[in-house]
Amino acid sequence: MVQSAKPTQPIWCPGCGDFALLACVKKAAAELKIPTHELVLVGGIGCSGSIHNFLEINGLHALHGRLLAQAVGVKLANPNLTVFAAGGDGDGYAIGMGHFMHAFKKNASILYIVMNNETYGLTKGQPSPTSQIGFEGNIEKPFDAILTALSIPAPNFIARTFSGDPRTLTAVLKEALEFNRAHRGFAFIEDLSPCVTYNDTYKLWRERVVDVSKLPGYDPSDRKAMFRLCMETMDSGKIPIGVMHRPAEGAPLDPALETRVLPAGALGPARTEIEIEPNMAAYAKLLRSVA
Amino acid sequence: MTTPASRTEAIATEPIPSPGTPPKRLADISVMIGGQGGDGTLTVSDLLGRYFRKLGLYVYTSRNVLSRIRGGHADASIRASCQPILSIKPDVDILMAFDEQAIEIGRSELGPDGIVLYDSTGSAADVPKAYGFPFATLVGGQVGQPIYKNTAAYGALSVLLGFDPVVTRQVIEERFTRRGEEALAKNLKALDIGRQAALSVPGLADRWHVEAGDAHDQILTIGNQAVALGFVVGGGRFFAGYPITPATEVMEYLQRYLPAFQGVVRQAEDELAAINMIIGAAYAGARVMTSTSGPGLSLMTEGIGHAGAAEIPIVIADCARVGPSTGQPTRHEQSDLAHLANLGHGEFPRFILAPATPLECFQLTVDALNIADKWRVPVILLLDQALCQNTTTSPPYDLEGIHMVRGKRLSGADLEKMAEYKGYAFTADSGSPIAPPGTPGVWSQVTGNEHDEWGHVSVNPVNRLKMMTKRMGKMVAAVPDLPTGKYFGETHAKIGIIGYGSTIGPILEAQERLKTRGIHTRFYQPRTLWPVPGHELDPFLHGVDVAYVVENNYTGQFARLIRETVPWHHAKLRSILRYDGLSFRSPDIVRPITEGV
Repeated sequence: MVQSAKPTQPIWCPGCGDFALLACVKKAAAELKIPTHELVLVGGIGCSGSIHNFLEINGLHALHGRLLAQAVGVKLANPNLTVFAAGGDGDGYAIGMGHFMHAFKKNASILYIVMNNETYGLTKGQPSPTSQIGFEGNIEKPFDAILTALSIPAPNFIARTFSGDPRTLTAVLKEALEFNRAHRGFAFIEDLSPCVTYNDTYKLWRERVVDVSKLPGYDPSDRKAMFRLCMETMDSGKIPIGVMHRPAEGAPLDPALETRVLPAGALGPARTEIEIEPNMAAYAKLLRSVA
Repeated sequence: MTTPASRTEAIATEPIPSPGTPPKRLADISVMIGGQGGDGTLTVSDLLGRYFRKLGLYVYTSRNVLSRIRGGHADASIRASCQPILSIKPDVDILMAFDEQAIEIGRSELGPDGIVLYDSTGSAADVPKAYGFPFATLVGGQVGQPIYKNTAAYGALSVLLGFDPVVTRQVIEERFTRRGEEALAKNLKALDIGRQAALSVPGLADRWHVEAGDAHDQILTIGNQAVALGFVVGGGRFFAGYPITPATEVMEYLQRYLPAFQGVVRQAEDELAAINMIIGAAYAGARVMTSTSGPGLSLMTEGIGHAGAAEIPIVIADCARVGPSTGQPTRHEQSDLAHLANLGHGEFPRFILAPATPLECFQLTVDALNIADKWRVPVILLLDQALCQNTTTSPPYDLEGIHMVRGKRLSGADLEKMAEYKGYAFTADSGSPIAPPGTPGVWSQVTGNEHDEWGHVSVNPVNRLKMMTKRMGKMVAAVPDLPTGKYFGETHAKIGIIGYGSTIGPILEAQERLKTRGIHTRFYQPRTLWPVPGHELDPFLHGVDVAYVVENNYTGQFARLIRETVPWHHAKLRSILRYDGLSFRSPDIVRPITEGV
């Protein structure tokens, strides 16, 4: 078999939360038996955005903040591909915020993983959009991606995980990938992934994370209930984790973007026949229509 | 000056010609229609255009609109000629004005024999050779809605120009039948009102007579439509864009055309998303394009650099308008070239192609897709507002000479024979064979970071040197694939003219006018602007004593690039510049050349 690019050694510090995510992504893809050549990971810029280099899959290293736009382009061009986008909290919630909001609205079947460490690690520890007040002089309120995601009425899959709990992380990744592969739409996972060098939050987060599925009133098909549950959990000083939204069992399917813009079974723009000869009659008809 | 609102008869400020005066025969006519946005000036232009085309005339129309939905002054100009034309006539023959502002704006454009028709409902004219008709009052009274005054104006113009009444009516039927019976009936009534009003002025009928032409096989089109059609037949199947004047029609046409070919058009949340969506789709193996104008181009600059570094084939149609910043969204300028030539931080290969007619827009869009795909580079199609949006008769588009060049795409069979698949393999000609994601048995890493042959991030200086040399080598290796320039006029003339894009229309006309004065010129129209075609410019400039570079910008951007490329011809270059937001008229070019002789 022809030799393709071999995975390189991760650039991450020993103990980085991203290692757990990497291991879980490999495990989830392997357990779902997704062929390697059909997997595409669009990486952002930052420590986490280099993850595609450490996997035996197709990698597209995007511009800072632009990975979601590129990932949507990949998916629409070839809907048969399983497309991940993965980056950090700065990439997704600062420079990429516009694309982040629109990804929910667009609802293409891609899986977006944000490795949130509440800092810009690669540039040595500046405050990020999720940094707590006081972190490295931060005076701006932290942004909460789950509340934002819940506020956009679209049939997405939304979850928050913790790199300190790889078992749950793998299960959520598998569910998200299956959601994508069934063309049910956009899946978003915010993984709490501590930066051991500039913002080591392992201990703090382990104490504070609360699995919302264990709380009374948990109903991930009910956005209002989940918004309230998350707000109440946060008000009590805890961090809600778990699956925050998935369309209700048996609810009518709201088609994903790729199934709205392409006919059923279409190969997509990347694979459809574009040579002139087979299209000759249709082209001639189109050109004749211009008077 | 009084404006009696209740008048229903015509007002004339010109002595009535004596009966039996033969009509003035015209082989080239221009009509300007002005009023408030919403007055229907474009409709009058469209109706005249339909009639002129039935006469077999070549037609060129432009519009002057404000960047707002309704209201404000708007005008449309239409020119019809027995000869092929690619520009607006310098002088207006007939001004059709719906208000006094339109008379005020239009009168400066009027030629010495020019006449004015105007709606006297609320306006008066103190210009010579003006005929006022209370179109709005008459139509409001007899049809019920004054908005049909534009059709009445067309009726009056048809009398003045001696149109065949049957064909005049046919034009209305063709245009309005699809709007329903009621709309058609009202328009036919308004047509009759306008005709009767003009016939009531003795001597006005058949004042002018437009000759017939041979342009019956021509289509009426705009550059933006041609780009969209070229994209489809060039195999383009994914387009993402963001609405912006004067580029939006490319997206709108593709929304109509592409679905039948399993193509996808997406309106993105901004230009950053648009360029990155096409980058993703191109990486996946689709032929892609976006279209934009100055402000969007500034945002897309980031993505274009990324495509250059990551070797992802994309096409960007830049429909240039007046800049910088928001500039004048609806106005014409050619001031993006310097930015495009140097676009982005760092250095990467890019090609800039410049069509000058809708037919070239069609053909060069196909070329752009082929060059992008073969060399895995960003290719920019540089258009200007006049080329994008002015309608013109054009030879029909066909598939003659249209080829598909896909570059080094690896199939499963190719890959079976290979020991290693490297997406950025070093090759003699700078082009690397690729297999898009989804190709069984292989995968690849693609990145905008500097990378090794495998696509892994690399800071190795030896690799950096080789990789930069490989990428930049495309600027030389691809030259045989780039569109070549065109030459017009006298081969041995000592006066040269250089211009690209829509300036070729007024330049070609200027050449004719200069010839009648005994001044012979040779015109070079480059169709690749980057890399600057030194191999074409050098012999051209060798052959002339002086060369006028005609462009719509302040700093003479193309002239500067020429000086940089062939500095030994520096002293021969003169600039003819116009940067008031309007395109050139031929006298703008004739005058400085005549003065220079």
